[in-house]
Amino acid sequence: MSYMSDERYIGVFDNEELFDKAVQTLKDSNIDIEELYMPVPVHHAVKNVAGSSRLPMFAYIIGIVSMISILGFLYYAAVISWPLNFGGKPSNAFPSFIVVTLVLTILSVTIFSLLAFSVSAKLYPGKKTEIFHERAMDDKFIIVLSKVADAENVLKMRGANEVIKKI
Amino acid sequence: MYDRKVRGDLIAGNKTMEDVTSDVLRPIESAAPKWWLVAMALSNLALLWGLYSMYLTVRYGIGMWNLNNSVGWGWDIINFVWWIGIGHAGTAFSIFLLVLRQKWRTSINRAAEAMTVFAVMCAGLFPLLHMGRVWNAFYVVPYPNTRGPLWVNFNSPLFWDVTAITAYLIISASFWYLGMLPDFGTIRDRTKSKIRKSIYGFFSMGWTGSSRQWQRFEALAFVLGGLAAVLVVSVHSIVSTDFASSIEPGWHTTIFPPYFVVGAIFQGFAMVMVLMIIIRKSYKFQDYITDSHLNAIAKILTFISLIMGTAYFTEIFIAWYSGNKYEIFTFFHNRITGDYAPQFWIMVVCNAIIPQLFWFKKVRSNLAMLFLISLIINVGMWFERYNIIVTSLAKDYLPSSWATYSPSIVEVGVFVGTIGIFATGVLVFFRYLPMMAISELKTVLNLNEKTEHKEIANK
Repeated sequence: MSYMSDERYIGVFDNEELFDKAVQTLKDSNIDIEELYMPVPVHHAVKNVAGSSRLPMFAYIIGIVSMISILGFLYYAAVISWPLNFGGKPSNAFPSFIVVTLVLTILSVTIFSLLAFSVSAKLYPGKKTEIFHERAMDDKFIIVLSKVADAENVLKMRGANEVIKKI
Repeated sequence: MYDRKVRGDLIAGNKTMEDVTSDVLRPIESAAPKWWLVAMALSNLALLWGLYSMYLTVRYGIGMWNLNNSVGWGWDIINFVWWIGIGHAGTAFSIFLLVLRQKWRTSINRAAEAMTVFAVMCAGLFPLLHMGRVWNAFYVVPYPNTRGPLWVNFNSPLFWDVTAITAYLIISASFWYLGMLPDFGTIRDRTKSKIRKSIYGFFSMGWTGSSRQWQRFEALAFVLGGLAAVLVVSVHSIVSTDFASSIEPGWHTTIFPPYFVVGAIFQGFAMVMVLMIIIRKSYKFQDYITDSHLNAIAKILTFISLIMGTAYFTEIFIAWYSGNKYEIFTFFHNRITGDYAPQFWIMVVCNAIIPQLFWFKKVRSNLAMLFLISLIINVGMWFERYNIIVTSLAKDYLPSSWATYSPSIVEVGVFVGTIGIFATGVLVFFRYLPMMAISELKTVLNLNEKTEHKEIANK
């Protein structure tokens, strides 16, 4: 069977469990899934298609880097740049730096994670996007196949309630 | 594990996913009800009064307030701590209940998070106004400057507070917005109105619900959730060190951080209850905010109320046990008895005694009682801060500087104004944003049926 290069087949599922199973069997049969769209995260299916995210690792690294930078800055400001004498207390008042370090580390991890999310998920305010099915964020589960031979049957066989061809 | 047979359905009425979408979006898609317009008008009036009072404060200085030499912190700091307390509800609901795997949070977390954002905004105004010269507020930020550079005092809890509140506001607002992304996508795809499509489309940031987006979304929610959990504890602990690190009798106590955190969660949960009952009643959301939800909040309130009672008792006991005459004076002659006894006893009755009525199932299942007692808790928590701040300051170590304190009309105006800001924010939220996390609600639809089916299949 031949297929057109930019033809896409959109399998619409009503049932979450059937959708999840369909994704699994497609993967088992080494059929390339272009993308899934769903109103709720179906974890198993998401993992099958998108793998797992490196965002937590990124956040962890940013956390360590910001913690060191913030402590470094506090030390610089309080000890090197302008040491002030607060009733004879040491300039390097380390224990009381912990609070600011903790809070600002959390803040910078949040901000950098949000930026990383925006970049990696390609989401930004005002982005125009292609909607494959207008009920994909309501109650339909969508599998998009392209460059797959006999895609319509492949999807129907696995329980799709409807298959839409899009060019 | 949530047991449906014992606690009832998380979402009643055999809803389908489509039902959930249309139910939650109904207030956005239909015209504003009359009560909403009236409430909005009243909130805006309060807001205007507040703005005028804030203008007077900034224009003529904080001499417009009735602060004096001893009571240098009055209603402004009481209200600051009070609003921060309310602001704890969102994170407590979203994060603590998420960590504890309490599925019943799904109907409530969005509104609680909205409350957090508006309450923290209100709270932030007070220290800012208290500075007097608001235009110099940037001095509290450490940046290279021409004054030395003279850095801020990193050892001061007041500076910790600035960082904590700023971070809390940014993080809770981001968490709230992030959670709404999928729902904005839902509204965009569903609405027929072009204006709505373009506005919600803009804010949905191109959300389509693809597997790659969900994967990153969940990872980010996990990261932010974990971080915000720390903040629930740290923010109010830091607020409490504003007091505890001073030498005022009645403030200089080690119990303050946990006492403040628990008090904040107590008040936050009570405010969530108030808001949930309003939402349930006015938008007929009883299938989503079920009796079981309200019952669960009431049980938590009962438990925290016991902790509050214990904390009050511990403070008094330690004041006596320490033998410190200033502590004894503050607690026994200036709180339990004396000029400020009414405020003390209102606090004890509202926070430690009246919530004990929740032990009775009849009270827990009566909406009017739930509403009333939750409001009483909020009043009680306001008096708790009054009690802490004013009694300790009004009669300090030097009897010649003792002074009584009552707020000026401008101070009252600023407080009413923040209530106006909060109410306006919440009403805008009711009208234009999805009040419940649609995509999260869908994950708990028939949750137990699924697991029950699996259990039967396994057998």
